[in-house]
This record gives sequence, structure tokens and C-alpha cells, in this order.
Amino acid sequence: MSTGASIATPGGTGWQPRVAAMGPVLLVIGWELAARLLTDAHVLAAPSAILLYLYENAGLMSRALGVTLTNAAVGFVLGNTAAIALAALVAIWPASERTVRGFALLIFCLPLVATGPILRVIFGPGPWPQIVLAALAVYYTTFVPLLVGLRALPSNWLDLVSSYGRGRLAALVHVRARAAIPYLVAGLQISAPAAFLGAMVGEFTGAERGMGVLTIRAMRGMNVEMTWALALVATAVSVGWYVAIGAVAKRFLEDEPPVILAAPNSETSGGGWRRTVVQLVFVSLMVLIAWWGFLKVLGLNPFFAKGPLDVIQAVTTASDAATNRDTLLTALAETSVYLVPGYIAGLTVGAMLAMLVVMVPMIAGTALPVAIALRSVPIITTAPLIVLLLGRGAAGTIVLVAVMVFFPTFVACLHGLKQAPGRITDVFDVFAAGPLQKLVRIRIPAMLPALFAAAKINVPASVLAVTVVEWLATGNGLGSVMALSASLSDYDMLWSAVALVAILSVLGYGAVGLLERRVLGIYAPEQLK
Amino acid sequence: MNKLQGISRRHLLSVGATTMLAGSAGLLSPRRAFAQSQVSLQLSWLHSTQFAGSYIALKNGWWQENGLEVSLLQGGPNAPVEPPVISGTALVGISAADYTAAAVEEGAPFKILGVAMQKNPFAIASLAENPVNEPSDLDGKRIGMALANMPVLEALCQLNGVDISAIEVIPTQYSPQPLVAGEVDCLLCWETDLPVAMTIQGVDNVTMLMADHGYSVHSQTYIATEDSLANRREEIVALMSGEVRGWEKYREDTDAATDLTLEMFPDAGLDAETQRLQAERQVPLMFSDLTDENGFGWWTDETVAANIETLGLLGRTVTPDLWDRSILEEVHGA
Repeated sequence: MSTGASIATPGGTGWQPRVAAMGPVLLVIGWELAARLLTDAHVLAAPSAILLYLYENAGLMSRALGVTLTNAAVGFVLGNTAAIALAALVAIWPASERTVRGFALLIFCLPLVATGPILRVIFGPGPWPQIVLAALAVYYTTFVPLLVGLRALPSNWLDLVSSYGRGRLAALVHVRARAAIPYLVAGLQISAPAAFLGAMVGEFTGAERGMGVLTIRAMRGMNVEMTWALALVATAVSVGWYVAIGAVAKRFLEDEPPVILAAPNSETSGGGWRRTVVQLVFVSLMVLIAWWGFLKVLGLNPFFAKGPLDVIQAVTTASDAATNRDTLLTALAETSVYLVPGYIAGLTVGAMLAMLVVMVPMIAGTALPVAIALRSVPIITTAPLIVLLLGRGAAGTIVLVAVMVFFPTFVACLHGLKQAPGRITDVFDVFAAGPLQKLVRIRIPAMLPALFAAAKINVPASVLAVTVVEWLATGNGLGSVMALSASLSDYDMLWSAVALVAILSVLGYGAVGLLERRVLGIYAPEQLK
Repeated sequence: MNKLQGISRRHLLSVGATTMLAGSAGLLSPRRAFAQSQVSLQLSWLHSTQFAGSYIALKNGWWQENGLEVSLLQGGPNAPVEPPVISGTALVGISAADYTAAAVEEGAPFKILGVAMQKNPFAIASLAENPVNEPSDLDGKRIGMALANMPVLEALCQLNGVDISAIEVIPTQYSPQPLVAGEVDCLLCWETDLPVAMTIQGVDNVTMLMADHGYSVHSQTYIATEDSLANRREEIVALMSGEVRGWEKYREDTDAATDLTLEMFPDAGLDAETQRLQAERQVPLMFSDLTDENGFGWWTDETVAANIETLGLLGRTVTPDLWDRSILEEVHGA
């Protein structure tokens, strides 16, 4: 594992790697034994049975993989290109930041359950709904780390650029772009499994072939080997993709992270709450106009394409408004019970594990592949299985949300911890400071911007996870309300639920942002410029 | 409805291209009576023997004979049928009376043109050692089902005088696994879906068809908009006559229909045994004395009245004019 190797101390050769490699081997042996003991439960397939299935159905699986991988790859390129373009726009024209961020966030918060069928109607038969869903699943997780990366540089570099009389474009090209590359890599790595998941969910909207289509078939047919074979292939591809990006990045990122020694800036920008409110109102208005315009431009039929006014009516003046509000609030309560603990657990475990890997590099050999694999297993294949193993109560859903949140946090924190400036570490070494001292005093402060970036990204990601689980496995909460209202043609309710999910995600994001400003104001003021 | 909204740019382009092609073909083969027009049929689920009658019609060129180039659009768990039909992407869609009634309540101008499944496929599946053979057996059982189907269970209980509060509902989705694992005692599912999967996996199970206990909701119904019925009547008649021929052929030999399905969709991950059993099991749902007498897809005032009653229990108010038999009458020459 390239990322793992880069963390390991250079001196750790000999028996250490062999011990580290034992972890996954033991895991596979345990899995095989457990599966053989539980054959009657129809939950777990043994690795040997999965391999046999793959061997016997190699043609079917490779054709399906080809289709899904192509769509995921096109979506990956489109989504990440959009992310880079948006981040560049913000860097060149900082005044646009709030609007761009607001729109980007809002579109990312639109739940797949609702966007899928709309995309199908817009694009008709073919691969485009899958590609667009893959792109939508990745662009935001690249955009946010990029925003951080474009600022992760000593402020005197920017001063230097301006002292030569050059503007923001030059600063972007010569200084910010280079500083942002490690963050871009983190974003691209997180994108790999997300793109694959997006393409698979896209196939639920009526695609002819692909891994998502086979997943539905396997679940319905109670074909345990097929379900696990699909999960295994999807995981292997996502892990391979992730590792490949890491390897490519490692070839080109030889430099030590730059020293960030910015003078604390007491005048943190923002300009008070009054300006914030004005900007918020402005962005909200823009969003409503864009929503309305989108429906008009595409000429979508008002039977299923509901505008802002329809939604406002549905929850205020319509004859069934009280029932609608009640349905939404009940569903919201059900969803929050899973969402909030899962989110917090995922963040905590992700950050802790990243610190543990830095402190005890030996465990990277086991922790990294397991972490990547856990996150790469497409949630649509695991949701029913995890819920079955952990019960239909809160535990199963909370774990799934935590798994979705955990991985981006882990990757981001790992990158953040590595940003600890080498020269400062040297100073600590000179004073013979222990690893714990260095962790607390250098690495954790260096990690905070990345942790907050991950915490923000994870607000919509965890909402996505919880609604998908509710839709496919538990059948309650907002995810189920959306699926149900689509099948009953209650599109007023569907769009109301979408609006509610989007608004709450944005608010959650904003709350994390407020916390971030307070904390980073102390530890990483260069981020607030 | 604004007519223009129903016509997409793609549609205009394809119509233009077809007209041009047909024009040049006409020069070469003057026998061809009219141009091939392209239409789509929106299926309600993934490709499988559930739609084998349509595949037979396609494969044998029975639509082409009547000047139709038909694309079969696959459905899926996140692919509602109504939006493509109302927006004109599909000329006809395969829905069910309860979904169509819900859409009509929301203002969609749909009509039911034909009924493929005379008997609703909803069933209660249970394990042979702890069977549910009668609605009264549900008393004290844990039932696994999508919460979305709660009104269905309520209707069944009401029709058969069963106390619903004595049944524990556990939400499950898309899998027979909770029943096999003993997490629930029975499942609310389709007769032709999860029970078939269990039988193939060697799980001994029994089913109770809800249609045998008063639950009358036409399923796999063909729907189109009023606008299409008025303006694209010939195409709809041609489409439905191909469907009727296809399904009659299907009934003669379900194994051949299964073979054709597997041949046409090698990438769909279909299991031959499962498909064969599913194809057999749906025959008694689709064909009855009524269809023997009047032809595939038929209904009478009595079956519609029964539907209206059950739909009422599901909270849907509908009138008999949701059903429009004129297309079938033309197809069957009645």
C-alpha cells in the first residue's frame, strides 16, 4: 500500500512488513470459517465460494464491470474537472465564493433517490443518468479540499506575488495551484469509491446492464455468492483506483510540505453577522430562481417537476399541508436518530485511526487496506447485509453512516497529519520530544484544517448514506418517504422532502463552519484569509 | 396538458430521421404501406420473463409488420413509470391500477388500456413449517414488508376480518433473506418474485395469493395519456396488438419464452431455473376464463367494480372511466 508505506518509518524493515501483512491474511481465514459456520443464514459467502462464482461467471461480471467502470470513470473526470474549475473560479474571484459554495453544496445535497428518476427523464435511455450521478457524487468531495489547499500556504508567498505587481490569476497559477496539489490528491482518492457508487445507483433508474443491475438481481434472488462477488469486485476496483492515484501522486510529490508560519491575523474576514445574513438571503434567492429556471428551460412536465412555489404551497396552504408537515417531521425525527450518532462516531473513529497510524506505523499495513475496503464496498450491496447482522434497530444504520463518514475523515486527517512542517519537527527532535508530544503539538494542529474540511464534506455524505439505507434496507425516515412518494406520484411530497434534506444539510454544514472558524482562528489562521 | 411539452427534441429528431429513412425505403420497396414510427414501451421492472410476451412480439417482428419500431425501456427500483409516460418518452407504460389511480389523483391524465395480470401478484410467503395459508393465520405473526405496502396489508385485513393490530410489521426491502433467517414469519411480496427465489435456493415455502382472498387490483396494466389516446391511436393499437399476440404465444410455451429472454439479455444476470419457474407461475395470474373468452388483457364491468372497491380500501377514489377498453376492442375485433 503506497500510502501506508509512505507513513512507515524508513528504518522499519525486516520482520515488520511481514507482521503487517499477516492482518489481512488472518482476516480472510476468519471470514472463510465464519461463512462456513453460517451457511444456513444466507448472509455471508465464503471467500472460496465467491472466487468460484467469479470464475464461473467471469464473462457476465467482466461485461458488467466494463459498463459500470466506464460510466464511473467518465463521471469521475467530469465531476473532478468541474470541482477544479469551481475552485479556480473562487480563487480568482473571491467575491463569488459564498454563491459558488452555496450552489455547489446544495446540488451535492440533492438526494440520489430523487435526482435519479429526474435525470432519466431528462436524458432518456442510455448511460447519462449514471454518469451524471457519478459526477455529482464526486465533485464536492474534491472541491472542498481544494478550497483548503488553495490557501494552505504561507501568506508571505502571496505577499511576494503582489509585491511584483501581479494579480490573483498569477497567484493561482504560480503559488496556490502547487500548494493545493496534495489536497487535490486527497479529493481524487476519496472520489474513486464515490464515483463507482454513483454509477451503480444510477443504474437503478432503468439501466440495461452493469454492476448495479446485477446487484438488484442478486439481492432479490437471495444469491449470496453473487451479492458478495459484486461487492468484492466493486471494492477491489475502488481500492485499486484509490491506490493508483496515490502511487501517481507519490511519484510527483517529492517535496516536503511547506512550512506554514503565518502571522495570526486578528482581522478575520467575514464582516459581521449582518453581511452573512445578506449573503445568505442572496444565495437562497439565487437558488430559488435557478430551481424555477431549471424546470422551465428543460420544459419538464409539471406533474412530476415541482417548483419552489408548489413546495411552499404543499407545506403551507394546501388542503393536506398539515398532513404533509407531519409526515416530513416524523420522517426527519426518525432519520436524525441514526444520522447524528453515526456522523459523530465516523468523525471520531476516522481522526483517531489516522493518529494511531501516524503513532504506530506498523498497523498501517492492516488498517489502511481494511479502511479503504470498508468504504469502497458499495453501500447498496452492504446495507441489507449490515442491517441484518446488526439488527433493524439503530445500530445497523448508525454503523453504515459511520462507515461512510469514517473513510473521508481518515484520508483527510492522514494527509493533514503529514502536513506537519518538517523543520518544526526537527526542532522538536533536537529537544528530544517524544512522539506523543509531536502529535499533540505539531501534527494535530496541522491536521485541523483537513479534519474540518472532512467534517463539512461529511454532512451531505452522511445524509446520502442514511437516506440510501432507509430506502433500501430499513424502510423508514426521509429516504423511505422519498421512495414512497415517487412510486405513488406524490411529487409535491417528494420535492418537499428533497428541499428539506437540502436545507438541513446546508444548515448542518454552516454549523460545522462556525465551529471551524472559532477553532482555526486559534490554530490555523491562514485558512481564514 | 400543453401538447408541446410532450415532444422532446430527441423525439422530433428521431421522427425526422425515421421519416427520411422510410421515405428512401419507400422508393426501393413500394409495397410497404406506411412509415415505421418509433415508440417506446416503459417496463415496470428489470428485464425478465415478467415481460417475455413483449420480447416474443419484438423478436418475431409483429410490431414491425404494423409499422412500429418498439424500444422496450427497462424499469428498476428507482425508475417510476409515470414520468416517462407523461413526458412522452414512452408511448405506453406498464403500471398497476393502484399506482395509476394515485397518479390520476395527482392530476395525471392516464387511462388503463389493458390488464396483463388479471390477478394481483401480491402474496404472503411463509416457510412450510410455519405456514400462512389463510388470512386468519396472520394473527400473531411477524410480517416483513416494505412500509410502503402498509395500505395493502390493511386492505387485506379489512377484507377478511383480521385484526391488524395482532400482526407485527417489520420493515424489510427487496430480499427474502429476513424470512429465511427467522427474523420474520412471513413476507408480503410478489407471488412470482421472492418465493421463486426461495424455492430455487431450496427453501421450502408456501404462498397465499391475496387475489384469492378478495384483494382485487389489476396489475401490470398498460397505461397511456388521454392525449396519446386521442392523437396517436393507430400506434397504440399496433403496440397493443403485438402485445396480445406475444402473450398468447408466451402461454403456449413458457419454456421457449424463457429461453428467448435469456438469449436477448445475456448481461442481465438472469438465472435460467428461476426464470423458468417465474414464467410458469405467472400464467395463472395472467390468463383466466375471462381472457379465454374475450382475449388477453380484457376486463368487465364486474372486475372493474371489484377493483374500485379494493382501491377504495387503499384510500383511492376512482371511477370506471379510468379504464378505457376501446383499444382492446379494436385489437380483438370485438
